Amino acid sequence: MNEVLFDVALTAYILAAAASIGSLVGRRDQLGWIALLLIQAGWACHTVAVILRGVELRRLPFMTIPEVISLVIWAVVLFDLWAERRGRVRALSAFVLPVVLVLGLGLPSGLRAALDAPVRSGWIAVHVALILIGLAALVLNFGGAIMYLLQERQLKAKRAGTVYRRLPALETLDRLTVATLTAGFPFLTVGLLLGLLSARRAWGSVITFDPLALFSLCMWVVYAVILVGRAMGHWRGRRAAYFSIAGFCVLLATLSAGAFLTGRHGS
Amino acid sequence: MSARGILFVAGLSHRTAPVELREQLALEEDKIREILADLAGRGLLDEVMILSTCNRVEVYGVAAVPGEARSAAFGRLGTHRGLAWRDLEPLLYTVTGDDAALHAFRVAASLDSMVLGEPQILGQVKDAFALAQSAGAAGPVLHALMSQAFSAAKRVRSETEVGRLAVSISYAAVELARKIFEGLAGKAVLLVGAGEMSELAARHLVDQGALPLYVTNRTWSRAQELARGLGGIPIPFDQMPATLGMVDIVITSTAAPEPIVTAVHARAALAARRGRPLFFIDIGVPRNVEAAVNDVENVFCYDVDDLRSVVEANLKERQREAVRAQALLEREVAKFAQRLQDLEVVPTIVSLRDKLEAIRRAELQRALGRLPAADEETRRVMESLSQSIVNKMLHAPMVKLKDSSRAGHGRRWTEMISELFGLRGPNRPVSGE
Repeated sequence: MNEVLFDVALTAYILAAAASIGSLVGRRDQLGWIALLLIQAGWACHTVAVILRGVELRRLPFMTIPEVISLVIWAVVLFDLWAERRGRVRALSAFVLPVVLVLGLGLPSGLRAALDAPVRSGWIAVHVALILIGLAALVLNFGGAIMYLLQERQLKAKRAGTVYRRLPALETLDRLTVATLTAGFPFLTVGLLLGLLSARRAWGSVITFDPLALFSLCMWVVYAVILVGRAMGHWRGRRAAYFSIAGFCVLLATLSAGAFLTGRHGS
Repeated sequence: MSARGILFVAGLSHRTAPVELREQLALEEDKIREILADLAGRGLLDEVMILSTCNRVEVYGVAAVPGEARSAAFGRLGTHRGLAWRDLEPLLYTVTGDDAALHAFRVAASLDSMVLGEPQILGQVKDAFALAQSAGAAGPVLHALMSQAFSAAKRVRSETEVGRLAVSISYAAVELARKIFEGLAGKAVLLVGAGEMSELAARHLVDQGALPLYVTNRTWSRAQELARGLGGIPIPFDQMPATLGMVDIVITSTAAPEPIVTAVHARAALAARRGRPLFFIDIGVPRNVEAAVNDVENVFCYDVDDLRSVVEANLKERQREAVRAQALLEREVAKFAQRLQDLEVVPTIVSLRDKLEAIRRAELQRALGRLPAADEETRRVMESLSQSIVNKMLHAPMVKLKDSSRAGHGRRWTEMISELFGLRGPNRPVSGE
């Protein structure tokens, strides 16, 4: 049942992505509204799917990598809705939803094939949950960075391109990327730290070869560097946006390492 | 509504008449009121409204013979300004029926304006209608037309971008600033030099909350004078480069033969601002800001030509949107035609309902008089019983009347029903909604 609901949610997200891109490029407000409705409906389905999965499997529904990705998507969509409504970052879904879909399309099969994970302590659940929130914020960070670059390019080129009018102001986008980075990073840090501590207890050593752990550390370093660069006031605007995109590439590599390479995290 | 008149619009506008003539014909409110009363009194027009702006003088009316009504109206308007009817006639356009409705909607939605999508016209149409109403010259048809026109104009405004994009250089600058900065509130502006366009742009920015405004000029006294006029702070000209680091938006408009702001200035300013974006609006010709400034990261520089091409792009965009707006208005015209047809049978429906209601009340009173012991419950039941009998009986004739009017023979049925039920008078006039 939960898989079916997840597929429904994913379909809603796909349609919403198409509608919000259409609204951005074709400049049709009605499409934007349809997209918003679809996102909300999809998110509601997704929420029920996650809960049902927990009930059906009698365990926390974020113990395998596919489940984690599913929850990242869930959180991203939630943040996206919040940013569009409260932060008035128009058109954000057109950039965030495609990312969600890239993450999500590999999932349905993965969800079904996922084995019941063996060892699971409460700490691990917290470790996963914290990282999840951090990752969700970073997906939005990426969306904001892409939008920033597009808008900046159009303003510099002095051409009022197709999407120019629909995109928010540069300052808004810069604020979005700062906010998502500063909000996501602490979660990521504490989450990874917890993972490190549990690893020491479970595997005896921190420095065992585990692809997911190694990639995660890389990702953490990249984002830490961006945050410091930002805080020192060196990187703003375009440069910060490029770094955000680089960070996100590492994030994607990390997730795929987790999904496809076998290590101590299991798959 | 008496015997059904024809809706028409006759007039001249920037499309048909030269500005001198339009100026001559444009009238003040009192005169229009007088002419409206006069025209309404003559019996040629059932309803009339006059729209007089600097770009158009139009008569909206309902008349049995629109041609006659048109010459009467414009004859009256012309004599007032010493213009002969034969001089006016060739400049006039006349549209009737659905075309008149479409024209009215296009005017209200600013699709027929000189500057496509300019917002004032809707207010002017509203004023004109209010004037006609207060002069007692507007009736149910114009009322239906105008309320539909206002809602159609609102839809065009919110559903298309006809009126959204800046079509003047100074507004284009403000629009661009809004794409760089989240809001203009609290953004510092520096105005270098003087000029109509640059001062206008500064004023727009200040209107939107930009603050403080620094003003500088090569001549100190001129800087002080300008600052006073705009509510800004004068600063000496040689402090201009240092001030660049303190402001978000710079408007330059000097007659200097060489650029006064260079990439070096811009880089220094950006360092002082810790990389926060800086926006140059260069209205000077030749340019006051070096072209290389635009290449500095987070610095955006638009000169007059850039702004002009933004305006042109916006105008083209408005035209594209106007096509969509037109389609929207055509659908609104169909709705209006429906409404107009319903209007034809509304008086009959109203008097039929009044008549039945009067009978119901009287009979109910009588019945209750015969039941002095009736309790509250019984009274309520009788009340609702009588009401539902009347409503059920009214339902079929009402549906029939509306259907028949849509099918084009409303008059036959209204007469028949008036005859059958002994409704008084020909038709009572309908009051506004």
